[in-house]
Amino acid sequence: MSETLSRIPTGMRYYTGSEARLRRAIGNTLISIFDGWSYEELTTPTVDYYSLFEQGMGRSQAHHAFRFSDTDGRMLAIRPDVTSLVARAAATLFSERKRPLRFCYVAPVFRQKPRSHAEWRRESTQIGCELIGSNSSAADMEILAIITEVLECLDLDRNCAITLNDVDVFNGIAEELDLHPEARNEMRELVDTRNAVDLERFLAGHSSAADPQAFAQLIQLTGKRKTLSDARRLITNPRSQSALDRLERLWCVIESLQLADRFEIDLGDVSQLDYYTGLTFKIYVSGAGARVGSGGRYDGLTASFGRAEQAVGFVLDLDALTEVLMGRPYGSDLMQGPVEESPLTAGNLSDLFLAARGKRALGQRVVINPVR
Amino acid sequence: MTQLTIAIAKGRLQAGALDLLAGAGLSFSAETLASRRLAVTDESGNYRLIFMKPADVPVYVEHGIADCGIVGRDILLESEADVLQPLSLSLGACRLVVATRNDAPINQLGMLRVATKYPRIAARHFGARGVAVDLIELSGSVELASVLGLADCIVDLVETGKTLQENGLVIVEVVADSAARLVVNRSSYQMKADAVGQFIRSLKDALRRQANVD
Repeated sequence: MSETLSRIPTGMRYYTGSEARLRRAIGNTLISIFDGWSYEELTTPTVDYYSLFEQGMGRSQAHHAFRFSDTDGRMLAIRPDVTSLVARAAATLFSERKRPLRFCYVAPVFRQKPRSHAEWRRESTQIGCELIGSNSSAADMEILAIITEVLECLDLDRNCAITLNDVDVFNGIAEELDLHPEARNEMRELVDTRNAVDLERFLAGHSSAADPQAFAQLIQLTGKRKTLSDARRLITNPRSQSALDRLERLWCVIESLQLADRFEIDLGDVSQLDYYTGLTFKIYVSGAGARVGSGGRYDGLTASFGRAEQAVGFVLDLDALTEVLMGRPYGSDLMQGPVEESPLTAGNLSDLFLAARGKRALGQRVVINPVR
Repeated sequence: MTQLTIAIAKGRLQAGALDLLAGAGLSFSAETLASRRLAVTDESGNYRLIFMKPADVPVYVEHGIADCGIVGRDILLESEADVLQPLSLSLGACRLVVATRNDAPINQLGMLRVATKYPRIAARHFGARGVAVDLIELSGSVELASVLGLADCIVDLVETGKTLQENGLVIVEVVADSAARLVVNRSSYQMKADAVGQFIRSLKDALRRQANVD
Protein backbone atom coordinates (compact mmCIF):
# COMPACT_ATOMS: atom_id res chain seq x y z
CA MET A 1 0.00 0.00 0.00
CA SER A 2 1.24 3.52 -0.68
CA GLU A 3 2.51 5.47 2.32
CA THR A 4 -0.29 8.03 2.06
CA LEU A 5 -2.90 5.31 2.61
CA SER A 6 -1.14 3.23 5.24
CA ARG A 7 0.04 6.09 7.39
CA ILE A 8 -2.00 7.04 10.48
CA PRO A 9 -2.08 10.78 11.30
CA THR A 10 -0.16 11.79 14.43
CA GLY A 11 -2.16 11.37 17.60
CA MET A 12 -4.75 8.96 16.17
CA ARG A 13 -4.94 5.22 16.82
CA TYR A 14 -6.91 1.97 16.61
CA TYR A 15 -8.11 -0.02 19.61
CA THR A 16 -8.24 -3.78 19.03
CA GLY A 17 -8.79 -7.07 20.88
CA SER A 18 -8.47 -7.10 24.64
CA GLU A 19 -7.69 -3.40 24.81
CA ALA A 20 -10.90 -2.52 22.93
CA ARG A 21 -12.91 -4.84 25.21
CA LEU A 22 -11.36 -3.33 28.33
CA ARG A 23 -12.04 0.20 27.11
CA ARG A 24 -15.68 -0.65 26.41
CA ALA A 25 -16.05 -2.33 29.82
CA ILE A 26 -14.62 0.69 31.65
CA GLY A 27 -16.99 2.96 29.76
CA ASN A 28 -19.98 0.76 30.65
CA THR A 29 -18.94 0.53 34.31
CA LEU A 30 -18.68 4.29 34.59
CA ILE A 31 -21.96 5.00 32.83
CA SER A 32 -23.77 2.55 35.12
CA ILE A 33 -22.25 4.27 38.16
CA PHE A 34 -23.39 7.65 36.82
CA ASP A 35 -26.85 6.16 36.23
CA GLY A 36 -26.82 4.99 39.85
CA TRP A 37 -26.35 8.62 40.95
CA SER A 38 -29.23 9.66 38.63
CA TYR A 39 -27.15 11.27 35.88
CA GLU A 40 -28.86 11.28 32.50
CA GLU A 41 -26.74 10.48 29.48
CA LEU A 42 -26.44 13.25 26.92
CA THR A 43 -25.12 12.73 23.40
CA THR A 44 -23.89 16.04 22.03
CA PRO A 45 -23.15 17.22 18.48
CA THR A 46 -19.69 16.24 17.21
CA VAL A 47 -19.41 19.39 15.12
CA ASP A 48 -20.57 22.75 16.39
CA TYR A 49 -19.84 26.46 16.00
CA TYR A 50 -16.34 27.46 16.99
CA SER A 51 -17.66 30.52 18.80
CA LEU A 52 -19.46 28.22 21.27
CA PHE A 53 -16.20 26.56 22.28
CA GLU A 54 -14.37 29.88 22.32
CA GLN A 55 -16.97 31.18 24.76
CA GLY A 56 -16.98 27.98 26.79
CA MET A 57 -13.30 27.09 27.03
CA GLY A 58 -11.61 30.42 26.43
CA ARG A 59 -9.71 31.25 23.28
CA SER A 60 -6.38 29.81 24.40
CA GLN A 61 -7.91 26.32 24.70
CA ALA A 62 -10.48 26.50 21.90
CA HIS A 63 -7.97 27.43 19.23
CA HIS A 64 -6.48 23.94 19.51
CA ALA A 65 -9.62 22.57 17.87
CA PHE A 66 -9.79 21.28 14.29
CA ARG A 67 -11.65 24.07 12.50
CA PHE A 68 -13.28 24.56 9.13
CA SER A 69 -16.02 26.74 7.71
CA ASP A 70 -19.65 25.90 7.13
CA THR A 71 -21.39 26.49 3.78
CA ASP A 72 -22.52 29.91 5.05
CA GLY A 73 -18.97 30.87 6.02
CA ARG A 74 -19.41 30.49 9.79
CA MET A 75 -16.52 28.78 11.56
CA LEU A 76 -17.16 25.23 12.76
CA ALA A 77 -15.06 23.06 15.06
CA ILE A 78 -14.91 19.37 15.79
CA ARG A 79 -15.79 19.13 19.49
CA PRO A 80 -12.63 19.88 21.55
CA ASP A 81 -14.63 19.80 24.80
CA VAL A 82 -17.98 18.48 25.99
CA THR A 83 -18.74 20.75 28.95
CA SER A 84 -19.43 23.78 26.71
CA LEU A 85 -22.03 21.76 24.81
CA VAL A 86 -23.68 20.51 27.99
CA ALA A 87 -23.76 24.02 29.48
CA ARG A 88 -25.40 25.39 26.34
CA ALA A 89 -28.03 22.63 26.38
CA ALA A 90 -28.76 23.41 30.03
CA ALA A 91 -29.34 27.08 29.20
CA THR A 92 -31.47 26.38 26.12
CA LEU A 93 -33.03 22.92 25.65
CA PHE A 94 -33.40 22.36 29.37
CA SER A 95 -34.12 25.95 30.44
CA GLU A 96 -37.56 24.99 31.74
CA ARG A 97 -36.53 21.86 33.55
CA LYS A 98 -36.40 21.72 37.33
CA ARG A 99 -32.94 22.26 38.85
CA PRO A 100 -30.51 20.75 39.55
CA LEU A 101 -29.75 19.09 36.22
CA ARG A 102 -27.58 15.98 36.21
CA PHE A 103 -25.93 14.98 32.93
CA CYS A 104 -23.23 12.48 32.00
CA TYR A 105 -21.52 11.69 28.71
CA VAL A 106 -18.92 9.57 26.91
CA ALA A 107 -17.59 11.33 23.84
CA PRO A 108 -14.39 11.63 21.84
CA VAL A 109 -12.87 15.11 21.74
CA PHE A 110 -10.34 16.32 19.19
CA ARG A 111 -7.43 18.73 19.32
CA GLN A 112 -5.00 19.73 16.59
CA LYS A 113 -2.31 20.08 19.20
CA PRO A 114 -2.15 17.78 22.23
CA ARG A 115 -2.44 19.33 25.68
CA SER A 116 1.19 18.55 26.51
CA HIS A 117 4.23 16.76 25.06
CA ALA A 118 3.52 13.68 27.15
CA GLU A 119 -0.05 13.58 25.85
CA TRP A 120 0.41 12.53 22.23
CA ARG A 121 -3.26 11.81 21.46
CA ARG A 122 -5.22 14.23 19.34
CA GLU A 123 -8.40 12.19 19.75
CA SER A 124 -9.26 11.19 23.28
CA THR A 125 -12.48 10.08 24.88
CA GLN A 126 -13.88 12.11 27.73
CA ILE A 127 -16.23 10.53 30.20
CA GLY A 128 -17.76 12.81 32.77
CA CYS A 129 -20.62 14.32 34.76
CA GLU A 130 -22.01 17.82 35.12
CA LEU A 131 -24.26 18.92 37.99
CA ILE A 132 -25.91 22.21 37.06
CA GLY A 133 -28.03 24.53 39.18
CA SER A 134 -26.77 23.79 42.65
CA ASN A 135 -24.28 25.74 44.71
CA SER A 136 -24.29 23.68 47.86
CA SER A 137 -21.26 21.92 49.27
CA ALA A 138 -23.51 18.87 48.88
CA ALA A 139 -23.12 19.28 45.10
CA ASP A 140 -19.32 19.48 45.38
CA MET A 141 -19.31 16.44 47.63
CA GLU A 142 -21.66 14.54 45.32
CA ILE A 143 -19.17 14.92 42.46
CA LEU A 144 -16.26 13.80 44.66
CA ALA A 145 -18.27 10.82 45.90
CA ILE A 146 -18.96 9.71 42.33
CA ILE A 147 -15.25 9.91 41.47
CA THR A 148 -14.41 7.92 44.58
CA GLU A 149 -16.85 5.22 43.58
CA VAL A 150 -15.40 5.12 40.06
CA LEU A 151 -11.89 4.61 41.40
CA GLU A 152 -13.13 1.91 43.79
CA CYS A 153 -14.94 0.05 41.01
CA LEU A 154 -11.82 0.14 38.84
CA ASP A 155 -9.75 -1.10 41.78
CA LEU A 156 -7.62 2.04 41.65
CA ASP A 157 -8.63 3.53 44.99
CA ARG A 158 -5.51 2.37 46.83
CA ASN A 159 -3.21 3.88 44.21
CA CYS A 160 -4.80 7.24 43.65
CA ALA A 161 -4.61 10.85 44.78
CA ILE A 162 -7.43 13.33 44.28
CA THR A 163 -5.98 16.79 44.92
CA LEU A 164 -8.34 19.53 46.09
CA ASN A 165 -8.04 23.29 45.88
CA ASP A 166 -10.26 26.34 45.65
CA VAL A 167 -9.27 29.01 43.11
CA ASP A 168 -10.27 31.77 45.53
CA VAL A 169 -7.29 30.99 47.77
CA PHE A 170 -5.10 32.29 44.93
CA ASN A 171 -7.58 34.95 43.78
CA GLY A 172 -7.78 36.45 47.28
CA ILE A 173 -4.03 36.88 47.38
CA ALA A 174 -3.79 38.21 43.83
CA GLU A 175 -6.56 40.69 44.64
CA GLU A 176 -4.68 41.91 47.68
CA LEU A 177 -1.62 42.52 45.50
CA ASP A 178 -3.75 44.39 42.97
CA LEU A 179 -1.85 42.90 40.01
CA HIS A 180 -2.46 43.82 36.41
CA PRO A 181 -3.47 40.81 34.28
CA GLU A 182 -0.02 40.07 32.91
CA ALA A 183 1.61 40.02 36.35
CA ARG A 184 -1.26 37.95 37.70
CA ASN A 185 -0.63 35.39 35.00
CA GLU A 186 3.08 35.37 35.74
CA MET A 187 2.28 34.71 39.39
CA ARG A 188 -0.15 31.96 38.39
CA GLU A 189 2.55 30.24 36.36
CA LEU A 190 5.06 30.39 39.20
CA VAL A 191 2.51 28.88 41.58
CA ASP A 192 1.46 26.26 39.04
CA THR A 193 5.05 25.05 38.57
CA ARG A 194 5.71 25.21 42.35
CA ASN A 195 8.56 27.60 41.68
CA ALA A 196 8.81 28.91 45.25
CA VAL A 197 12.16 30.66 44.79
CA ASP A 198 11.04 32.81 41.87
CA LEU A 199 7.63 33.31 43.44
CA GLU A 200 9.15 34.77 46.61
CA ARG A 201 11.27 37.08 44.47
CA PHE A 202 8.22 38.07 42.44
CA LEU A 203 6.14 38.74 45.56
CA ALA A 204 8.89 40.71 47.26
CA GLY A 205 8.75 43.12 44.33
CA HIS A 206 5.01 43.60 44.70
CA SER A 207 4.23 43.61 48.35
CA SER A 208 5.59 43.48 51.82
CA ALA A 209 2.38 42.03 53.21
CA ALA A 210 2.62 38.81 55.13
CA ASP A 211 -0.06 36.86 53.24
CA PRO A 212 1.75 36.57 49.91
CA GLN A 213 5.05 35.63 51.50
CA ALA A 214 3.37 32.90 53.47
CA PHE A 215 1.67 31.71 50.32
CA ALA A 216 5.03 31.04 48.65
CA GLN A 217 5.75 28.42 51.30
CA LEU A 218 2.32 26.84 51.09
CA ILE A 219 2.34 26.01 47.42
CA GLN A 220 5.06 23.46 47.89
CA LEU A 221 3.03 21.51 50.40
CA THR A 222 0.41 19.01 49.59
CA GLY A 223 -1.16 17.37 52.56
CA LYS A 224 -4.22 16.72 54.64
CA ARG A 225 -5.96 18.76 57.28
CA LYS A 226 -2.72 20.24 58.56
CA THR A 227 -2.15 22.03 55.23
CA LEU A 228 -5.53 23.68 55.70
CA SER A 229 -4.89 24.74 59.26
CA ASP A 230 -1.42 26.05 58.32
CA ALA A 231 -2.98 28.00 55.48
CA ARG A 232 -5.69 29.46 57.70
CA ARG A 233 -3.11 30.68 60.14
CA LEU A 234 -0.90 32.23 57.45
CA ILE A 235 -3.42 33.69 55.00
CA THR A 236 -5.82 36.24 56.42
CA ASN A 237 -7.57 38.04 53.56
CA PRO A 238 -11.34 37.43 53.60
CA ARG A 239 -11.66 35.97 50.08
CA SER A 240 -8.97 33.33 50.64
CA GLN A 241 -10.35 32.67 54.11
CA SER A 242 -13.81 31.83 52.89
CA ALA A 243 -12.30 29.54 50.23
CA LEU A 244 -10.37 27.77 52.98
CA ASP A 245 -13.62 27.51 54.97
CA ARG A 246 -15.29 25.78 52.04
CA LEU A 247 -12.36 23.38 51.67
CA GLU A 248 -12.45 22.62 55.36
CA ARG A 249 -16.16 21.84 55.28
CA LEU A 250 -15.55 19.38 52.44
CA TRP A 251 -12.56 17.89 54.21
CA CYS A 252 -14.66 17.20 57.33
CA VAL A 253 -17.13 15.20 55.26
CA ILE A 254 -14.31 13.36 53.50
CA GLU A 255 -12.80 12.45 56.88
CA SER A 256 -16.12 11.30 58.29
CA LEU A 257 -16.55 9.00 55.27
CA GLN A 258 -13.04 7.65 55.98
CA LEU A 259 -11.87 8.63 52.53
CA ALA A 260 -9.08 10.96 53.64
CA ASP A 261 -6.36 8.61 52.38
CA ARG A 262 -7.48 9.25 48.80
CA PHE A 263 -7.53 13.04 48.97
CA GLU A 264 -4.85 15.72 49.28
CA ILE A 265 -5.11 19.47 49.72
CA ASP A 266 -2.96 21.10 47.04
CA LEU A 267 -3.04 24.90 47.21
CA GLY A 268 -0.64 25.11 44.26
CA ASP A 269 -3.13 23.71 41.74
CA VAL A 270 -4.04 26.83 39.75
CA SER A 271 -3.89 25.54 36.20
CA GLN A 272 -7.27 26.82 34.96
CA LEU A 273 -8.05 29.92 36.99
CA ASP A 274 -10.13 31.68 34.38
CA TYR A 275 -12.48 28.76 33.94
CA TYR A 276 -13.13 27.59 37.48
CA THR A 277 -14.78 29.69 40.17
CA GLY A 278 -14.47 27.61 43.34
CA LEU A 279 -13.48 24.04 44.08
CA THR A 280 -10.99 22.46 41.66
CA PHE A 281 -9.52 18.99 41.71
CA LYS A 282 -7.23 16.70 39.76
CA ILE A 283 -7.16 12.91 39.72
CA TYR A 284 -3.88 11.01 39.64
CA VAL A 285 -3.37 7.25 39.67
CA SER A 286 -0.07 5.41 39.84
CA GLY A 287 1.02 4.08 36.49
CA ALA A 288 0.00 7.23 34.63
CA GLY A 289 2.61 9.97 34.12
CA ALA A 290 -0.06 12.65 33.91
CA ARG A 291 -3.44 13.22 35.55
CA VAL A 292 -6.27 10.96 34.41
CA GLY A 293 -9.04 13.39 35.25
CA SER A 294 -9.94 16.81 36.58
CA GLY A 295 -12.86 19.03 37.39
CA GLY A 296 -14.31 21.72 39.56
CA ARG A 297 -16.92 24.41 39.98
CA TYR A 298 -17.55 26.69 37.00
CA ASP A 299 -20.28 29.12 37.99
CA GLY A 300 -19.34 31.57 35.24
CA LEU A 301 -19.76 29.32 32.23
CA THR A 302 -23.51 29.03 31.75
CA ALA A 303 -23.91 32.82 31.98
CA SER A 304 -22.21 33.08 28.60
CA PHE A 305 -25.10 31.04 27.20
CA GLY A 306 -27.71 33.36 28.62
CA ARG A 307 -28.55 31.81 31.95
CA ALA A 308 -26.20 32.24 34.89
CA GLU A 309 -26.26 29.32 37.26
CA GLN A 310 -23.96 27.36 39.48
CA ALA A 311 -22.35 24.22 38.11
CA VAL A 312 -19.78 21.62 39.07
CA GLY A 313 -18.45 18.68 37.11
CA PHE A 314 -15.57 16.41 36.26
CA VAL A 315 -14.10 14.58 33.34
CA LEU A 316 -12.01 11.42 33.17
CA ASP A 317 -9.79 10.40 30.28
CA LEU A 318 -11.03 6.98 29.13
CA ASP A 319 -7.87 6.33 27.08
CA ALA A 320 -5.57 7.04 30.01
CA LEU A 321 -7.66 4.79 32.29
CA THR A 322 -7.48 1.99 29.71
CA GLU A 323 -3.71 2.33 29.52
CA VAL A 324 -3.37 2.17 33.31
CA LEU A 325 -5.71 -0.81 33.68
CA MET A 326 -4.14 -2.95 30.95
CA GLY A 327 -2.52 -5.82 32.82
CA ARG A 328 -4.01 -4.88 36.21
CA PRO A 329 -6.29 -7.31 38.07
CA TYR A 330 -9.40 -5.38 37.07
CA GLY A 331 -8.49 -5.70 33.42
CA SER A 332 -7.19 -9.26 33.39
CA ASP A 333 -10.56 -11.04 33.05
CA LEU A 334 -11.27 -8.97 30.01
CA MET A 335 -7.78 -9.60 28.62
CA GLN A 336 -8.65 -13.25 28.02
CA GLY A 337 -11.64 -12.50 25.87
CA PRO A 338 -14.66 -14.78 25.60
CA VAL A 339 -14.19 -18.54 25.24
CA GLU A 340 -13.99 -19.53 21.57
CA GLU A 341 -16.96 -21.51 20.33
CA SER A 342 -16.22 -24.28 17.87
CA PRO A 343 -16.92 -22.93 14.38
CA LEU A 344 -20.31 -23.73 12.89
CA THR A 345 -20.15 -25.61 9.63
CA ALA A 346 -22.84 -27.20 7.45
CA GLY A 347 -23.26 -28.38 3.91
CA ASN A 348 -25.62 -25.63 2.80
CA LEU A 349 -26.17 -22.04 3.86
CA SER A 350 -29.79 -22.61 4.98
CA ASP A 351 -28.77 -25.28 7.51
CA LEU A 352 -25.80 -23.24 8.59
CA PHE A 353 -27.78 -20.11 9.38
CA LEU A 354 -30.71 -22.06 10.84
CA ALA A 355 -28.28 -23.55 13.36
CA ALA A 356 -26.62 -20.18 13.93
CA ARG A 357 -29.91 -18.37 14.59
CA GLY A 358 -30.95 -21.16 16.95
CA LYS A 359 -27.77 -20.74 19.01
CA ARG A 360 -28.05 -16.96 19.00
CA ALA A 361 -31.65 -17.20 20.23
CA LEU A 362 -30.23 -19.03 23.26
CA GLY A 363 -27.71 -16.25 23.72
CA GLN A 364 -24.75 -18.39 22.66
CA ARG A 365 -21.73 -17.09 20.84
CA VAL A 366 -21.28 -18.36 17.27
CA VAL A 367 -18.58 -18.14 14.65
CA ILE A 368 -19.55 -18.93 11.07
CA ASN A 369 -17.11 -21.06 9.10
CA PRO A 370 -18.69 -22.16 5.81
CA VAL A 371 -16.95 -25.09 4.08
CA ARG A 372 -15.64 -24.32 0.64
CA MET B 1 10.60 3.69 50.83
CA THR B 2 9.47 4.48 47.30
CA GLN B 3 12.34 4.61 44.85
CA LEU B 4 12.73 7.85 42.91
CA THR B 5 14.19 7.93 39.42
CA ILE B 6 16.22 11.08 38.78
CA ALA B 7 17.28 12.17 35.30
CA ILE B 8 20.62 13.96 35.20
CA ALA B 9 21.75 16.12 32.27
CA LYS B 10 25.12 14.93 31.05
CA GLY B 11 27.90 17.39 30.30
CA ARG B 12 28.18 20.89 31.75
CA LEU B 13 26.00 20.26 34.83
CA GLN B 14 26.80 16.64 35.55
CA ALA B 15 29.71 16.95 38.01
CA GLY B 16 28.04 19.74 39.99
CA ALA B 17 24.77 17.82 40.12
CA LEU B 18 26.52 14.71 41.48
CA ASP B 19 28.31 16.81 44.13
CA LEU B 20 25.02 18.30 45.18
CA LEU B 21 23.35 14.88 45.36
CA ALA B 22 26.25 13.61 47.48
CA GLY B 23 25.70 16.60 49.76
CA ALA B 24 22.03 15.61 49.98
CA GLY B 25 23.02 12.18 51.27
CA LEU B 26 22.98 10.04 48.13
CA SER B 27 26.01 7.80 48.00
CA PHE B 28 27.51 6.05 45.03
CA SER B 29 30.65 3.98 45.00
CA ALA B 30 33.52 5.43 42.97
CA GLU B 31 33.35 2.32 40.83
CA THR B 32 29.66 2.92 39.95
CA LEU B 33 30.30 6.50 38.94
CA ALA B 34 33.36 5.63 36.88
CA SER B 35 31.39 3.04 34.91
CA ARG B 36 29.67 3.91 31.68
CA ARG B 37 26.32 2.61 32.85
CA LEU B 38 23.38 4.86 31.96
CA ALA B 39 21.41 3.94 35.08
CA VAL B 40 22.86 3.53 38.59
CA THR B 41 21.21 3.00 41.97
CA ASP B 42 22.50 4.66 45.13
CA GLU B 43 23.61 2.57 48.09
CA SER B 44 20.39 3.09 50.05
CA GLY B 45 18.38 1.85 47.08
CA ASN B 46 16.11 4.89 47.37
CA TYR B 47 17.37 6.67 44.29
CA ARG B 48 18.10 5.61 40.74
CA LEU B 49 20.03 8.04 38.56
CA ILE B 50 19.73 8.00 34.80
CA PHE B 51 22.05 10.03 32.60
CA MET B 52 21.02 11.59 29.31
CA LYS B 53 21.47 14.51 26.95
CA PRO B 54 20.14 17.71 28.58
CA ALA B 55 17.30 18.14 26.08
CA ASP B 56 15.99 14.67 26.95
CA VAL B 57 15.63 15.37 30.69
CA PRO B 58 12.31 17.29 30.44
CA VAL B 59 11.00 14.61 28.06
CA TYR B 60 11.62 11.76 30.54
CA VAL B 61 10.25 13.79 33.44
CA GLU B 62 7.15 15.00 31.61
CA HIS B 63 6.28 11.41 30.67
CA GLY B 64 6.81 10.27 34.26
CA ILE B 65 9.54 7.76 33.35
CA ALA B 66 11.80 9.85 35.57
CA ASP B 67 10.17 11.32 38.68
CA CYS B 68 12.66 14.18 38.97
CA GLY B 69 15.40 15.73 36.88
CA ILE B 70 18.28 18.15 37.10
CA VAL B 71 18.60 20.33 34.01
CA GLY B 72 19.40 23.89 32.93
CA ARG B 73 16.67 26.52 32.77
CA ASP B 74 17.67 27.21 29.14
CA ILE B 75 16.55 23.68 28.21
CA LEU B 76 13.26 24.09 30.10
CA LEU B 77 12.48 27.40 28.39
CA GLU B 78 13.16 25.84 25.01
CA SER B 79 11.24 22.60 25.60
CA GLU B 80 8.14 24.31 27.09
CA ALA B 81 7.71 21.05 29.01
CA ASP B 82 4.84 20.84 31.48
CA VAL B 83 6.81 19.99 34.63
CA LEU B 84 7.07 21.38 38.16
CA GLN B 85 10.15 23.42 39.12
CA PRO B 86 10.25 23.44 42.90
CA LEU B 87 13.94 24.33 43.31
CA SER B 88 16.52 26.52 41.67
CA LEU B 89 19.98 25.01 42.17
CA SER B 90 23.08 27.14 42.42
CA LEU B 91 24.72 25.25 39.59
CA GLY B 92 25.87 26.16 36.10
CA ALA B 93 24.84 29.82 36.23
CA CYS B 94 24.93 31.37 32.76
CA ARG B 95 22.97 33.66 30.46
CA LEU B 96 21.03 33.33 27.24
CA VAL B 97 22.09 36.28 25.10
CA VAL B 98 21.73 37.88 21.71
CA ALA B 99 25.21 38.43 20.26
CA THR B 100 26.54 39.82 17.01
CA ARG B 101 29.80 40.83 15.28
CA ASN B 102 31.52 43.86 16.71
CA ASP B 103 31.19 45.82 13.52
CA ALA B 104 27.70 44.79 12.49
CA PRO B 105 24.86 47.04 13.61
CA ILE B 106 21.60 45.10 13.88
CA ASN B 107 18.83 46.33 11.61
CA GLN B 108 15.67 45.26 13.39
CA LEU B 109 13.32 47.03 11.01
CA GLY B 110 13.68 44.57 8.16
CA MET B 111 14.10 40.88 8.68
CA LEU B 112 16.66 39.55 11.08
CA ARG B 113 18.44 36.29 10.39
CA VAL B 114 18.98 34.58 13.76
CA ALA B 115 21.09 31.45 14.20
CA THR B 116 20.48 29.46 17.37
CA LYS B 117 20.14 26.14 19.14
CA TYR B 118 17.07 27.65 20.87
CA PRO B 119 14.53 28.39 18.12
CA ARG B 120 11.50 28.67 20.45
CA ILE B 121 13.23 31.02 22.89
CA ALA B 122 14.49 33.15 19.99
CA ALA B 123 11.04 33.23 18.35
CA ARG B 124 9.39 34.32 21.63
CA HIS B 125 12.05 36.93 22.34
CA PHE B 126 11.88 38.66 18.96
CA GLY B 127 8.14 38.01 18.65
CA ALA B 128 7.51 40.00 21.84
CA ARG B 129 9.01 43.11 20.20
CA GLY B 130 7.49 42.57 16.77
CA VAL B 131 10.70 41.86 14.92
CA ALA B 132 10.45 39.58 11.87
CA VAL B 133 13.06 36.83 12.10
CA ASP B 134 14.37 34.08 9.90
CA LEU B 135 15.35 31.41 12.41
CA ILE B 136 18.26 29.21 11.41
CA GLU B 137 18.43 26.21 13.71
CA LEU B 138 21.94 24.89 14.29
CA SER B 139 23.22 22.14 16.55
CA GLY B 140 26.56 23.54 17.68
CA SER B 141 29.28 26.23 17.32
CA VAL B 142 26.58 28.81 16.77
CA GLU B 143 29.15 31.66 16.90
CA LEU B 144 30.37 30.60 13.47
CA ALA B 145 27.05 31.57 11.90
CA SER B 146 27.53 35.18 12.89
CA VAL B 147 31.26 35.26 12.15
CA LEU B 148 30.81 33.85 8.66
CA GLY B 149 27.68 35.81 7.85
CA LEU B 150 25.11 33.01 7.84
CA ALA B 151 23.11 35.08 10.32
CA ASP B 152 22.89 38.70 11.50
CA CYS B 153 23.02 37.61 15.11
CA ILE B 154 22.90 34.56 17.34
CA VAL B 155 20.92 33.56 20.43
CA ASP B 156 23.11 31.35 22.56
CA LEU B 157 24.10 30.32 26.07
CA VAL B 158 27.08 32.19 27.51
CA GLU B 159 28.93 31.17 30.64
CA THR B 160 32.04 33.40 30.74
CA GLY B 161 31.75 35.16 27.39
CA LYS B 162 35.22 34.03 26.42
CA THR B 163 34.19 32.12 23.28
CA LEU B 164 32.23 35.13 22.06
CA GLN B 165 35.14 37.46 22.72
CA GLU B 166 37.66 35.24 20.96
CA ASN B 167 35.44 35.17 17.91
CA GLY B 168 34.90 38.91 17.83
CA LEU B 169 31.28 38.84 18.98
CA VAL B 170 29.63 41.13 21.51
CA ILE B 171 26.55 40.69 23.65
CA VAL B 172 23.72 42.92 22.49
CA GLU B 173 21.21 41.94 25.16
CA VAL B 174 20.44 39.30 27.76
CA VAL B 175 17.35 37.20 27.00
CA ALA B 176 17.24 35.24 30.26
CA ASP B 177 19.38 34.07 33.14
CA SER B 178 19.85 30.36 33.38
CA ALA B 179 20.91 27.97 36.13
CA ALA B 180 20.17 24.37 36.93
CA ARG B 181 16.67 23.52 38.11
CA LEU B 182 15.16 20.59 39.92
CA VAL B 183 12.14 19.50 37.89
CA VAL B 184 9.45 17.08 39.05
CA ASN B 185 6.75 15.16 37.20
CA ARG B 186 3.24 16.38 38.11
CA SER B 187 1.93 12.92 38.88
CA SER B 188 4.99 11.82 40.91
CA TYR B 189 4.66 15.01 42.95
CA GLN B 190 1.29 13.71 44.17
CA MET B 191 1.68 9.95 43.99
CA LYS B 192 5.15 9.86 45.59
CA ALA B 193 4.61 12.97 47.71
CA ASP B 194 6.58 11.70 50.73
CA ALA B 195 9.65 10.61 48.79
CA VAL B 196 9.67 13.74 46.60
CA GLY B 197 9.18 16.00 49.62
CA GLN B 198 12.03 14.30 51.45
CA PHE B 199 14.29 14.67 48.39
CA ILE B 200 13.50 18.37 48.02
CA ARG B 201 14.19 18.99 51.72
CA SER B 202 17.56 17.23 51.60
CA LEU B 203 18.53 19.15 48.46
CA LYS B 204 17.58 22.42 50.17
CA ASP B 205 19.74 21.51 53.16
CA ALA B 206 22.64 20.60 50.87
CA LEU B 207 22.29 23.93 49.04
CA ARG B 208 22.28 25.82 52.33
CA ARG B 209 25.44 24.02 53.50
CA GLN B 210 27.13 24.68 50.15
CA ALA B 211 26.29 28.37 50.39
CA ASN B 212 27.75 28.55 53.91
CA VAL B 213 31.01 26.93 52.81
CA ASP B 214 31.32 29.33 49.90
